[in-house]
Amino acid sequence: MMPEKHWRSLEEWQAISEPDGAEFAESPIGIAGGPDRRGFLKAAGFSFGAAMLAGCGRTAQKIEPNLAQPEGFIPGRPVYFASTCSGCTAACGTLVKVRDGRPIKLEGNPDHPVSRGGLCAVGQASILGLYDSQRVAQPMLNGKPASWTQADAFVQVRLDEVRKNGGAVRLLTGTVHSPTEATWIRRFLDSFRNARHIEYDALSSSAILDAHTQTHSARILPRYRFDKADVIVAIDADFLGTWISPVEFARGYAESRDPNGARYAWHVQVEPRMSLSGTKADRRVVLGPGEIAAFVNDLSDAVRTGGSGRSEVAEIAKRLREARGRGLVVCGSQDVAVQALVTRMNEALGNYGSTLETDRASRQRRGNDGELGGLLAELRDGRVDVLIVAGANPAFELPGGAAVAKAKLLVVHAERLDETAATAQVVSAASHSLESWSDAEPVEGTASIVQPCIRPLFQTRPWVETLAAWTGKPDTALALIRDEWQKTIFPKAKASVAFEQFWEKILRDGFAQYEPAARAKAATAAAREAEPRRTPPAPEGFELVLYAKTALLEGRHAYNPWLQEVPDPVTKVAWDNYACLAPGAAAKLAVATGDVVRIECGGQSVELPALVQPGQHDGTVAIALGYGNRLSARFAKAGPEWIEARPTLNEKGLVGGNAAPLLTFEHGSLTYSRSGVKLAKTGRSVALACTQEHHTLTVPERLKPAAGATRPIVQETTLVQIRAPGVGHSKEKSRPELWPPDHPYPVHHWAMVVDLNACTGCAACVVACQAENNIPVVGKDEMRRKREMHWMRIDRYYSGAPENPRVAHQPMFCQQCDHAPCETVCPVLATSHSEEGLNQQTYNRCVGTRYCANNCPYKVRRFNWFQYSREDRVANLALNPDVTVRSRGVMEKCTFCVQRIQEAKIESKRADRPLRDGDIQTACQQTCPAKAIVFGDLDDPRSEASRLMASGRRYRVLEEINVRPAVGYLKIVRPDAPADGEKENG
Amino acid sequence: MADIVLSPPLVSGHKSLVEVTDDVCRPMERRPGLVWWAAFAVAFSMLLLGMAAISYEIATGIGTWGLNTTVGWAFDITNFVFWIGIGHAGTLISAILFLFRQRWRTGVNRAAEAMTLFAVMCAGIFPLIHMGRPWFGYWIFPYPNFRGSLWINFRSPLAWDAFAISTYFIISATFWFVGLIPDLATVRDRAQPGLRKKIFTILSLGWDGAYTTWNRYEMVYLLLAGLATPLVVSVHTIVSWDFATSVIPGWHATIFPPYFVAGAIFSGMAMVLTLMIIARKVMGLEAYINLRHLDVMSKLIITTGSIVGLAYLTEFFTAQYGGNRYEQFVFLNRAGGPFAWAYWTMVSCNVITPQLLWFRKIRHNWTLVFIITIFVNIGMWFERFVIIVTSLHRDYLPASWASYRPTSIEIATLIGSFGLFFTAFLVFCRVLPVIAMAEIKGVLKHGANHEEAHR
Repeated sequence: MMPEKHWRSLEEWQAISEPDGAEFAESPIGIAGGPDRRGFLKAAGFSFGAAMLAGCGRTAQKIEPNLAQPEGFIPGRPVYFASTCSGCTAACGTLVKVRDGRPIKLEGNPDHPVSRGGLCAVGQASILGLYDSQRVAQPMLNGKPASWTQADAFVQVRLDEVRKNGGAVRLLTGTVHSPTEATWIRRFLDSFRNARHIEYDALSSSAILDAHTQTHSARILPRYRFDKADVIVAIDADFLGTWISPVEFARGYAESRDPNGARYAWHVQVEPRMSLSGTKADRRVVLGPGEIAAFVNDLSDAVRTGGSGRSEVAEIAKRLREARGRGLVVCGSQDVAVQALVTRMNEALGNYGSTLETDRASRQRRGNDGELGGLLAELRDGRVDVLIVAGANPAFELPGGAAVAKAKLLVVHAERLDETAATAQVVSAASHSLESWSDAEPVEGTASIVQPCIRPLFQTRPWVETLAAWTGKPDTALALIRDEWQKTIFPKAKASVAFEQFWEKILRDGFAQYEPAARAKAATAAAREAEPRRTPPAPEGFELVLYAKTALLEGRHAYNPWLQEVPDPVTKVAWDNYACLAPGAAAKLAVATGDVVRIECGGQSVELPALVQPGQHDGTVAIALGYGNRLSARFAKAGPEWIEARPTLNEKGLVGGNAAPLLTFEHGSLTYSRSGVKLAKTGRSVALACTQEHHTLTVPERLKPAAGATRPIVQETTLVQIRAPGVGHSKEKSRPELWPPDHPYPVHHWAMVVDLNACTGCAACVVACQAENNIPVVGKDEMRRKREMHWMRIDRYYSGAPENPRVAHQPMFCQQCDHAPCETVCPVLATSHSEEGLNQQTYNRCVGTRYCANNCPYKVRRFNWFQYSREDRVANLALNPDVTVRSRGVMEKCTFCVQRIQEAKIESKRADRPLRDGDIQTACQQTCPAKAIVFGDLDDPRSEASRLMASGRRYRVLEEINVRPAVGYLKIVRPDAPADGEKENG
Repeated sequence: MADIVLSPPLVSGHKSLVEVTDDVCRPMERRPGLVWWAAFAVAFSMLLLGMAAISYEIATGIGTWGLNTTVGWAFDITNFVFWIGIGHAGTLISAILFLFRQRWRTGVNRAAEAMTLFAVMCAGIFPLIHMGRPWFGYWIFPYPNFRGSLWINFRSPLAWDAFAISTYFIISATFWFVGLIPDLATVRDRAQPGLRKKIFTILSLGWDGAYTTWNRYEMVYLLLAGLATPLVVSVHTIVSWDFATSVIPGWHATIFPPYFVAGAIFSGMAMVLTLMIIARKVMGLEAYINLRHLDVMSKLIITTGSIVGLAYLTEFFTAQYGGNRYEQFVFLNRAGGPFAWAYWTMVSCNVITPQLLWFRKIRHNWTLVFIITIFVNIGMWFERFVIIVTSLHRDYLPASWASYRPTSIEIATLIGSFGLFFTAFLVFCRVLPVIAMAEIKGVLKHGANHEEAHR
């Protein structure tokens, strides 16, 4: 309906009559009397859009793009900072992976002289401590949040009072080996007239230090060099698990036991319960805690005289004597007399200076139980005016530790409201080690730096800043540490550069090394002073052994869900402690695993489920410390919630029960065993979250098949066999095949080799994998239902008599089969084969039929039974942005850390150089303290993985079903010729 | 032929054509009785319980089932295979027996086919709900898409399953409906004007009963029977491949296809008998489902039951003879391990109990046969449970051995599947002719001389 147009010229007429709009004519359908359709839509669109915008209610905010980025900062690219682990006092070197300004993963620092690249489960998990939303977020005064100004003023007033009236000030800490902290503790305490610093270790080695005071006139802990030892005699010392510095020791131990090396250390473990070290021993002597002293005495005699007491002792002594200067006797006893005997024995064998270093002594445990006992007595008597506790939880860890509340003023510097902090008048909110400056000197002559990798998430303060503030000289931690290093370490290091360059190098490397001051040599082994006390065996009852688990240690990490959920390397139980009983003892008491027993001694008692543990001394009951911690109450909601879900916590609202009240002070030492313990059944029973139901490679005797009851899954060999000529290398047996190979692997063929002989089963890899791959925590009930999500598990098999079995650990994870049974059965192609040999799982294609998991002979696939990932804005900062967080209903599994493979490939492409062997390290490989895992490319014949694949020790698990796993295992080396019929089991 | 003369009539009593129509249509045309309502109330409650359980499972996760890392399938796939097996009898009776001219089938084929459909519906639920993400269940069908284009894995037995079951369902439904048409027309003709008449008018597709119509109908029916026959064998063969193509000892066996097909016919026949023994009593159809049927179907049960028993023995023999330690163990573990009770339940129900049917006295006793069929139903459910769970729970690596225990949700889901089955069957009994009137009239004594001559 065009309105009539008038024209004034021919040109105008032409313009009007031109068919400009006609070609795209408006639809004849119009709205009568209103705007046309297009106009209506425009108006409608505008008003709709306007309404929408108005409805959003967000005012425009101006943002500016960061055109000039901070130098060296590339979004999405990780930066690594060298730092030091604070998970325990061993102080391993770490590399902190920082992505977009937040630390997401800890790795071992391969250059660090103490830990040499490994990091244990505790270290791996300590990142969760940073992103813990339930930390003490700001200082607290009498249970109420306060500002730092208020808290400092409050403390300062009280301290000034004490400074004036000369009241008793006591500072109770764990081992302090930080040079700066030590300096400031001294300065702080010097400002009082009556002040003392007491160090203690909840897992104490005080007797070793005390023994050295007797024999070496210095209260030192020697540095044990397992890497130099040819004969290792470990007496009740779990050096691979929890004793002093397990990462360092495991590495040294693995080096001493390289079957291809020139020497192969012989290891005998003497212990009352099956420890992680005991599982690796060539010979294991099971002795009750009361027999240890006599054993050491006999051994000492045998070493001195060469005579023979018990035949076993005589053989050990003979081996030690033969390996003069290359032997190592370590002992975990807390009896100073026993330790003195051990020291003299090592001295007599010439081991000091080689396998025990005193001039570069360890500072990893400095606790003094004598002083601790004194302090507790003072506290009980109410003679302490101010008690400051830092980095320790005496109320939980110590028998009678509740006495800390009797101090007139209790000040606690803590990250969390643990038992001690909960009773304190003042809580100084401690920073996590990833957000604060600090330092460490785990071994004399090796100082290690702790760098912050993120600004403090909460209003927290490093310990040294707090000390300086309360001394009256407040300063930043960085300034304090720089100052300390400039004054003490820089001169000792004798660097040829200026301090600024030295400092930069420290920050890059993470540590400095220098020659420590020479120490007076040991007094020559004097005649034996005193027979060690021989504890007469208790007339009745059990002997109690209190020990620490590799993950939870003394309990400081009870808040940590990864450490609660990692199955114990020996018992395979997660989320609990329990009373370990020997099979014989359990049978006598008619107790089965899971039956709750009451353990009673000296007026103290604890009720725990029993666990039947092969290899334990018949007359002992062993209980792990560190459980029943207040911090574990947070797991009330761990795990999925549904109608049949059972709680993670026990009836007390905690994980496990605290056994620390059963500890005793004997002759001034914190003692981990005692006799005369009564055990009684309570009649109740609980289900333990044990991830392994069957514990041997042999099927039940009743169901023994004709073709063999024992499965060749863990294979063993002997040194003699390895060293026999002609067996050095194994050739891949080429099977006759009807079909051409499915997968040619033209560029890379990723593979892994696991050395079962080196593997100690410590589970560091399991937690590293969890951290790297965003593996959720599922809680006790799911673990109990065998639904653990760990992509990597460590299978543990016993063989031989249950009284003293042999043990094999076998890390098990996706074998990335060339003929993968999982790939063919997925109906939707959610799991497929890459041309580099990886079995790829495509999460967003997975519909969750679980057929792949059923068809996996290794049962390494993990299914998201529930929506396990949770919304937690703080905790989820620890997620690795390179790895998808899986939703419920999809299958997942080990990917060989494909994100690391891709990253390395991209990097090599960018740098225009071929990928080198070692460029890619999987998370498990990186963290392994024993370096038992090697990842590499089989297409590269010179790669370490290819070399190990050709080793004579290499076999593949379930080779006979021809799924062609890409993972090779190196056989365990047993020292003695295996007995008949035991050739293939572990 | 002498045996025909000697064998009892297919329809007892001297029923006239009208009587047949009346007998069959009566339950549809009167108000349901108290028995029906009671049965329906129970069945529907079971269905509701199952629906609640399934809704909860889909909303919360597969974790509400008792499965674990080692045992990834248990009740879900057990129920699936069980129902698919039940669904076998219908097509066997309607297609294969039709082609073999087994005229006794006319008394039971309608109900058996309906049962097949309902059983396949019950079975079809499980592959869907056993998925971690059932809302993406359609991904297992190949359809044109913009994902690059992403196809399914044609090598996966689960993909074959999807085809096999959907084909089976479609063909069975078509076959059943085609068979219904003449009867629907009869119902239409008897109906008073109204909604009922309209519905049956539409459903009977304008059936006019003319000679040519009958002629074409018979031809279509024959062709469909021919088309459905291979499916009787194929469906359970393919279901068995879910297991047989795997590497799990106890699953990886070449005997599975015949073993599964025999088992399916075995369980299907048992379920047909279970249902028909009740239905004839409740619905007053004693004349149409009589001792002749009981006898023939009992014999089928002995035959297939014995084949199944032989398969059990063969499995053991193959395992022992094969010398594979894993496989040997799986079978010893079945008979003596933690699930031995399930295994021996299976053996006693499937192998021992049916042997009683060798005795004519037992075979001709409705109550005893009913009890035996219940045993067979239980036994065949346990057979699938034993195959699935005992093979998975202790496979290669002893460290990953685990156990299995169903949760309340799984039990409710199993009950719910029975609820669906019985609800559907009860509704079927009310709204459609349970006996193929048109066919049964063909085997009446009516015009017996002609009948005999024809034979």
